[in-house]
Amino acid sequence: MNSELCTIKGTREGLVITIADAVQFGEVLKSLERQLLASQSFFRGSSAKLFLQQGTLTDGQIDDIEGLIVDYGMRLNREPVTVSIHRPLTEPATEDTREVKEDNTLLVRRTIRSGQRLHYDGNVVVMGDVNPGAEIVCTGDILVLGSLRGVAHAGAEGKVDATVFAFRLEPTQLRVAHVISRAPDEKLPQPTGPEIARVVENSIQLSVYNH
Amino acid sequence: MGKVIVITSGKGGVGKTTTTANLGTGLAAAGKKVCLVDTDIGLRNLDVVLGLENRIVYDLLDVVEGNCRLRQALIKDKQFGESLVLLPAAQTREKDAVHPEQMIELMAQLKEEYDFVVLDSPAGIEHGFKNAIAGADQAIVVTTPEISAVRDADRIIGLLEAAELYDPQLIINRVRPEMVRKGDMMDINDIDDILAISILGVIPDDQDIIVSTNRGETVVTDKKSRPGQAYRNIVRRILGEEVPFMDLHERKVMHWFKRILSGEAQ
Repeated sequence: MNSELCTIKGTREGLVITIADAVQFGEVLKSLERQLLASQSFFRGSSAKLFLQQGTLTDGQIDDIEGLIVDYGMRLNREPVTVSIHRPLTEPATEDTREVKEDNTLLVRRTIRSGQRLHYDGNVVVMGDVNPGAEIVCTGDILVLGSLRGVAHAGAEGKVDATVFAFRLEPTQLRVAHVISRAPDEKLPQPTGPEIARVVENSIQLSVYNH
Repeated sequence: MGKVIVITSGKGGVGKTTTTANLGTGLAAAGKKVCLVDTDIGLRNLDVVLGLENRIVYDLLDVVEGNCRLRQALIKDKQFGESLVLLPAAQTREKDAVHPEQMIELMAQLKEEYDFVVLDSPAGIEHGFKNAIAGADQAIVVTTPEISAVRDADRIIGLLEAAELYDPQLIINRVRPEMVRKGDMMDINDIDDILAISILGVIPDDQDIIVSTNRGETVVTDKKSRPGQAYRNIVRRILGEEVPFMDLHERKVMHWFKRILSGEAQ
């Protein structure tokens, strides 16, 4: 698909309509209508904001856009034409856009807290911490760009060569495929750098990560 | 239009009620109109801590069920009168007698009239917790420097986030500097490392709190009290002031000096 002049993106605060260049306003409108038509029921009832990357919009043009999206059952928040979005209080929680699925890898841009459980068929990358009481189970590798203090189970469907990586690897329990290991009862010195865990001869071994 | 702040923790006994009473009183002392709401239906405490138990006629449930007008259920504080009122919880009913929708409506009503509505949440993560956070604009999480309390605080932060109550702030209660210094108690950094939310204040452990609570008074108005000072600082931070964190070790040092001067120390 060629690059659209106008894109609609769902954010946690509502929809953002990004307009690449306001100069070709006719094209922008066409592009917007095409996309609204393609997924009209999905957008219905939500409120949208405009974000302009280039050029300016006259009030009349904003009216045109508003007319179009109102036809599709949406509201336009006309206030600031920026990305600084605020969240409508009445909207139900939309899909968390901090989690992006790509090539069977789940990217989680937040900290997984106690009581939260993440299951995924593939790899998991966490940009944040995995706190004690939290659990990640996935069929592939686990990468934590932060501290891993909870429970991590990599290769949950038997992938023995799956690994668990963390900037600070201090898990309550580690599982890789069928192998389970737990933190020793006595306090260990804190890891000084990134470490990786993998199965070596039927037990889980931690080693300093260097590549 | 006022602001609804919910004081919550997950774990029981960490000082939610004491914190609610002190922050409410502190905000009233700073000239704000404040309404305290006890949402711990069946296990109400806030009235006792404020010494207002004997004035309760109507409660939160009477209001949401339409047995009385909102104004009739609000109890005026002994010290601050109209500018600090309490909406007590019902003692003889259970949490599920109220629904989150009713709480949202009630909070909207209270916000019209008061600058701050401070909600005392029950312990736990069930119905009562959901009621408490339903109409809130902001959450304050109270924890103590214990692993179990911090764990529960973490759980609560996750649940607040899921309920779209973002950026909760943390109060660390009952810190004993001497124990922290010896490595026998989690220090602020340990807690910050796990919870990673902004810290609104740290309250030193002090027997003043127990004494005043049992008398139905709050420490926040006591100029000599250390925890009172900590609560006053938190109030100022809530009102948007930048206040440096107080040095918790100060008192021990003073104590030590006094002992030297009196010739007690060896």
